[in-house]
Amino acid sequence: MEAADPDVPPAKGEGLEIPGEQTGPCPTETDGDEPDSVPEELCAIPAEPDSVVEEAGAEPDSVPEDLGTIPAEPPAPQSNGPLSTADGKVDAREELSDKELSDSASTDNVLEDSSEFGPPAVAVGGSGGPAGEEVVVPAVTTHRDEDVTAESWRKRRKHVFVLSEAGKPIYSRYGNEEALSSTMGVMMALVSFIQSGDNAIRSICSDDRKLVFVQQGPLVLVSVSRTLQSEQQLRQELLYVYYQIISMLTQVSITRIFERKKNYDLRRLLAGSEKILDRLLNLVESDPSFLLNAVRCLPLPASLRDSLGALLQKAITSNLVFSILVARSQLVTTVQEKTVIEDCRLEPTDLHLLLNLISATSAFQAGEIWTPICLPRFNPDGYFYAYISYLDAECTVCLILLSTDKESFYSVSDCKKRIEEGMRTQGYLQALSAGGSSQSPSYSVGLVGVPDLRHFMYKPLDIPENYRQLPQFTSPELESPYHSERERHRLFDLYHYLHSRIHSGCRPLRLIYHVAAKETLLAWVTSKFELYTCFSPLVTKAGAINVLTKLLRWIKKEEDRLFIRYPPRYSPTPNPGKSVKGGRSDGAENGFFAGL
Amino acid sequence: MAASRDYYLALCGRPVHFEKANPVNCVFFDEANKQVFAVRSGGATGVVVKGLEDKNPISFRMEDKGEVKCIKFSLGNKILAVQRTSKSVDFLNFIPDNPQIEYTQECKTKNANILGFCWTSSTEIVFITDQGIEFYQVLPEKRSLKLLKNQNINVNWYMYCPESSVILLSTTVLGNVLQPFHFKGGTMSKLVKFEIELPAAPKSSKLSLSERDIAMATIYGQLYVLFLRHHSRTSNSTGAEVVLYHLPREGLCKKTHILKLNRTGKFALNVVDNLVVVHHQDTETSMIFDIRLKGEFDGTVTLHQLVLPARSIQPYQIPVAGPASVTSPSPVPCKLYSSSWIVFQPDIIISASEGYLWNLQVILEPVVNLLPDKGKLMDFLLQRKECKMVILSVCSQMLSEPDRGTLAVIATVFDKLNNEYKKYLEAEQSYTMVIETGQSKSNPPPKRPVRTQAVIDQFDMYTHVLSVFTETKEASNKFIIAVLMEYVRSLNLFQIAVQHYLYELVIKTLVQHNLFYMLHQFLQYHVLSDSKPLACLLLSLESIYPPAHQLSLDMLKRLSTANDEIVEVLLSKQQVLAALRFIRGIGGHDSVSARKFLDAAKQTEDEMLFYTIFRFFEQRNQRLRGSPHFTPGEHCE
Amino acid sequence: MMAAGGAGQEKQLAPALLSFFIYNPKLGSREGEEEKKILFYHPNEVEKNEKIRNVGLCEAIVQFTRTFSPSKPAKSLHTQKNRQFFNEPEEDFWMVMIVRNPIIEKHHKDGKPVAEYQEEELLDKVYSSVLQQCYSMYKLFNGTFHKAVEDGGVRVLKERLEKFFHRYLQTLHLQSCDLLDVFCGISFFPLDKMTYLKIQSFINRMEESLSIVKYTAFLYNDQLIWSGLEQDDMRILYKYLTTSLFPRHTEPELAGRDSPIRAEIPGNLQHYGRFLTGPLNLNDPEAKCRFPKIFVNTDDTYEELHLIVYKVTLSTLSYSSMQPTLDFCRKLDSIVGPQLTVLASDICEQYNINKRISGSEKEPQFKFIYFNHMNLAEKSTIHMRKTICIIKLLSSRADEDEEIIVKAMSDYWVVGKKSDQRELYVILNQKNANLIEVNEEVKKLCATQFNNIFFLD
Repeated sequence: MEAADPDVPPAKGEGLEIPGEQTGPCPTETDGDEPDSVPEELCAIPAEPDSVVEEAGAEPDSVPEDLGTIPAEPPAPQSNGPLSTADGKVDAREELSDKELSDSASTDNVLEDSSEFGPPAVAVGGSGGPAGEEVVVPAVTTHRDEDVTAESWRKRRKHVFVLSEAGKPIYSRYGNEEALSSTMGVMMALVSFIQSGDNAIRSICSDDRKLVFVQQGPLVLVSVSRTLQSEQQLRQELLYVYYQIISMLTQVSITRIFERKKNYDLRRLLAGSEKILDRLLNLVESDPSFLLNAVRCLPLPASLRDSLGALLQKAITSNLVFSILVARSQLVTTVQEKTVIEDCRLEPTDLHLLLNLISATSAFQAGEIWTPICLPRFNPDGYFYAYISYLDAECTVCLILLSTDKESFYSVSDCKKRIEEGMRTQGYLQALSAGGSSQSPSYSVGLVGVPDLRHFMYKPLDIPENYRQLPQFTSPELESPYHSERERHRLFDLYHYLHSRIHSGCRPLRLIYHVAAKETLLAWVTSKFELYTCFSPLVTKAGAINVLTKLLRWIKKEEDRLFIRYPPRYSPTPNPGKSVKGGRSDGAENGFFAGL
Repeated sequence: MAASRDYYLALCGRPVHFEKANPVNCVFFDEANKQVFAVRSGGATGVVVKGLEDKNPISFRMEDKGEVKCIKFSLGNKILAVQRTSKSVDFLNFIPDNPQIEYTQECKTKNANILGFCWTSSTEIVFITDQGIEFYQVLPEKRSLKLLKNQNINVNWYMYCPESSVILLSTTVLGNVLQPFHFKGGTMSKLVKFEIELPAAPKSSKLSLSERDIAMATIYGQLYVLFLRHHSRTSNSTGAEVVLYHLPREGLCKKTHILKLNRTGKFALNVVDNLVVVHHQDTETSMIFDIRLKGEFDGTVTLHQLVLPARSIQPYQIPVAGPASVTSPSPVPCKLYSSSWIVFQPDIIISASEGYLWNLQVILEPVVNLLPDKGKLMDFLLQRKECKMVILSVCSQMLSEPDRGTLAVIATVFDKLNNEYKKYLEAEQSYTMVIETGQSKSNPPPKRPVRTQAVIDQFDMYTHVLSVFTETKEASNKFIIAVLMEYVRSLNLFQIAVQHYLYELVIKTLVQHNLFYMLHQFLQYHVLSDSKPLACLLLSLESIYPPAHQLSLDMLKRLSTANDEIVEVLLSKQQVLAALRFIRGIGGHDSVSARKFLDAAKQTEDEMLFYTIFRFFEQRNQRLRGSPHFTPGEHCE
Repeated sequence: MMAAGGAGQEKQLAPALLSFFIYNPKLGSREGEEEKKILFYHPNEVEKNEKIRNVGLCEAIVQFTRTFSPSKPAKSLHTQKNRQFFNEPEEDFWMVMIVRNPIIEKHHKDGKPVAEYQEEELLDKVYSSVLQQCYSMYKLFNGTFHKAVEDGGVRVLKERLEKFFHRYLQTLHLQSCDLLDVFCGISFFPLDKMTYLKIQSFINRMEESLSIVKYTAFLYNDQLIWSGLEQDDMRILYKYLTTSLFPRHTEPELAGRDSPIRAEIPGNLQHYGRFLTGPLNLNDPEAKCRFPKIFVNTDDTYEELHLIVYKVTLSTLSYSSMQPTLDFCRKLDSIVGPQLTVLASDICEQYNINKRISGSEKEPQFKFIYFNHMNLAEKSTIHMRKTICIIKLLSSRADEDEEIIVKAMSDYWVVGKKSDQRELYVILNQKNANLIEVNEEVKKLCATQFNNIFFLD
């Protein structure tokens, strides 16, 4: 995925990554400047020397490789906690210099915020902070400082803006917020003007663009798009952006912040996480997972998948609710705490956002990470504590363990060791990380063996116990003639288009057969599945039907490999807690179990 | 000049000149051979025979055996017949510069007097006596005659019409019962006799129908007996009239037409170009009548008024000493309508006193101005022999100032022309049909319809009238279009297939004036019928009028024989997929050249497209040959 | 405005015109003079500041969208309760139409009605075209805005706008707008070549004999046969005739000679002609010849004409450049009346023959709409309110050829084809047909209805 990220020149990455790596003992300390979100958890790690040493020692050789393969990434939210307060002050001072915000106010502000996540950090660590700052800047120059009056800026396929009710810029996909503050001011003005008429703005359409407005609590999100996407789809994307922000800050805290200070500059809390949003926005346009709201599973022999599931099942500890194994950002298997499953399940959105956050943060690629994370769809106001660790040198296989107890780092880390152990002994790791083998994680449409078929997306609706399952889908990799990004965008535009038609709010459809200029597409929704196919434009209708039957037959044959058929579950834990979705909003620590 | 334009009758330019009649020189005219005989002193001092056709006159001598009553060559000038007495006719096998001995034939009937004779073929001759007629065959080598047939009947006078070889005999006391005989290939057939209604009930029982008041002529292929009736029987209408009796081969002779002369006095008749010309000596003018033109029909007879105002024959200059003269002093004007004129049918005028023979001619140009009613004018012109150029000029004239016709008039003219045109086309068609279906054996074998000048086809109209007209600056484009549409309408009215060049003209004109929407509507209603050339013409307009592309594609589609063209058009528009879909639609996708489509796809520089097309043909190869590869022949590497 | 009530407790309110205004930002650019910008505002009762505010919003939105595409500013604004449509027909002259979304009023147990706005119902395409037609219609009868200002300044323009829209707005039936409003097409009368040519020469001769007649259009049975006017002018005039003028003078068109209208016409008894505009009774010397003025070719020659509508059992129109006099009317009546009457029966015959041939008496089990952008030809068996959504499917894309077949939840099939400027929409209600069968049906339709045009399969 990283490789696909157009905006980050790997070359830069190498050099910049170095300071991060040098601080071997505390790899996660490297960079970033998120002042208040997660410092304290990180301190836990240096306090656990051996694990770190082990980390460092375990794969020294891996480091250079990383440099080679992994481009520069923006700082991760949890990083350099130790300096947070200092940074906070720095911020404040900077602001003081140009903003009306008073020093005290700002620090106070910071502290206030931090209080939401427990006591301010006390630990002292490496000097990653400044480095981090530097990292941010160059990595960003590519388009964060784009000239917002330039034609090239206007020509962008899709702009996304986030601003506060006070009209303060929070995020802009292209161009720097300061330069856009007036534009965002107008946006806010429009929103509130129409609000004043006891009405709500939805969108503005011109011949070649759609401007979509979404208001979520104190935040206003605006998308300016030239794509074929429908208003709803654009709105959905904006919600993804919103949730991604929530996943880092939680809803309550944001609400609270703005209750306290209308014109608070939220960028101070999000600074550095633009990369995550940038990446998200690139993803939603190219990864069907978001369109279909389903997860893509790594094709695996059912047996292998089951034994991996079993492995996860065994390696558990109390308060561990989700174990997720991912390879090449495709789901291998996931296990949920029984009681959790009873009345709710992991939402694909949450998983997408989580994976995006992880992949967007190269710092995670070394060592163990322990960081609070919010699953907005699950509970927008609470935190889970995520243990994240890559199991192989190439950082293709990633284990994510979600706990509700922020103190349980060691026990969770121990689970990881057991799992890793199990996989190593069984040689599963090779099976997973071995790319390009017959078990190639992504497959070619050629496997189906029908010439006129170019691509498809298949979302089964008849998986056993579907209601407890993550919605899944399968789709071959994009091959010629869709190698260029332009063509890929075009195709996904069409998919979006079909999707919006067939799921149209006012007039949904069962089937669409569309002979377009460069391809023929078919979308079909039945009780058993949802299918999108792309044919050669010269296919005949009879031909297309024929292809469909072949395709469906093939999927039936392959479904055990393509999908998680029978999700494993934890055996009941000693103290089964029945979960409560959305616990007390002020569930500061252990947001999740606050509800108990 | 303007005046001279008025004369619509004229004497022919090169008359026959002969020595004028005088005591020693008798002049005879043979209607059959149209020859003038000048017999000087009974032939002893020479006989000169001149015809209209033959340039060099025949001249010979014959011994004077008394006064010559009548002298005529047989058809072909082989045998000369001379009547000197009332009882017999002398014959002479004529061989130039080789005097022969004469032989004689007396009339069979005792004490009958020969009124005259006439040759009906090169060897057959008819004697008309006061008691009947005798039909002989001449046997030159035997130097004798053989009686073929004879018929006894009292004859007052007779009249012969060579064209129809019919002899008319005036019988009965009043002489108004006419008995026609028809001669053909050695047979003499008696036709039904008929009676001429005399003006008023005759006072006494004396001959009251004179030969001078009767003429025979073929008009529009039919034989008519023309009777000059000096006083209309119906007292109310004054003035003389000409009554036409139609004399068919078989069946009754019927009175069919009456030509109102509205004047009295001395008249003479001619028939020129199917027009009846009536010369009036008192006024020295002539009137013309066309029995084909509308007249008032009273149930049995049609009354005709003169077509044009009476006019004199065009003044004529007599070339002194005739054509032979080396020095030509100023010519003297010829006295027209002189009492010394003798008129013969159909169109001969002889001035015995002057020694000239003319045939009468009709000049059409002046008529144009004398007949303001364009419809009537067309009806008139279309019946004339030499009408084409006149008609075309009339058309051009009615389309341009100053005396421009209204669309209504223009429409009628077009309709009349196309009506004639259509008749010819149909004749042609049925003829070729007969020929093809091999019914030609069936006798009589069909004869190819002759194309008269009255047939004005689209090409004539296009070249002489319309193409010129559309270039004129003066006319408003509205008018120009209207005219063109009228012509197209007229052609359609008669179900005549419109030629491409006319459509081209319409389109060119519309385009010139940017009347594209008009053009579009015309095509929409298929006013311009489909054809490949038209479709191509439309394609060429696309740059100035984009919808033309659609129009032409539709047209090609309707033609249903233009699939290749359609493909070419689509490819030229880089619509490669469309082209391929179309081909497939008509089931030609297995045979079509892959190379052509791949090239077209390549030109679009659209990789996507090329990929699609390439894969399509790979699959075709797979299907047809079991391998996706192209054969070298296809040049698709 | 109240449409047929929904099921049980529900009550449905159709979309409604909330307001309609025309302004020119250049006219009141100075502070405090904003009111000057407003040239027309409906409803007029609205309080001044409210007007200014709403106009302000529109300006703001237009300006704002220019920051992203300077050349293509906003066309519409969607809000929860309504939609606003913007149109700048002439430079700096903006027309705005605000339409309320349809509402479903649900009744709670406690009896409180809750309004639920159907935000997805309205289609921009439809109402944008309605707005454009508002302008075209105004222009047809009043000329351009700029011309009005040249003629007599803003005051005159305001008067004209007031005079025109005051009546016109009431004729907008927003609840029943649909696909056909988008096309605003012209329905042509099918006719054989010969009859068509006859009509041609009739028109030419009439224009020849009545010199002040500049253009002529010829309609039969509310369908166009010939237009001397250019396409765009004809388009809007046709709309006016068929939706406004003719309905006011309804009578059985195809009744033929023995239709009873003879009685209605005072004066001439030898034919059935009469004026739909201008004098009613030609024998009344007092009869005044006021013919509506129309403005055509406004972007080049800018012609001002008088609209003369003369109708026999069919209609012909003439546009004369001079003020027609009563004598002229008499002349026209005497020339045109009889000929038209004859032509009318000719056409009527043809019409019946065609019907017999094509056997189009029996309704096919599919309904369709056909439109050709090239000549605006429109052919349809229905107004497609229900399935209007399909225009999104095709028209949303550039002018590439495409085809789309959808199966709705109701199991109806809807087929849309677009081929070289032509659009065809077909609805089939064969519930359990499959894709291929549907395709066959459409092929059949094309073979019967459209075999004479190039329509790619």
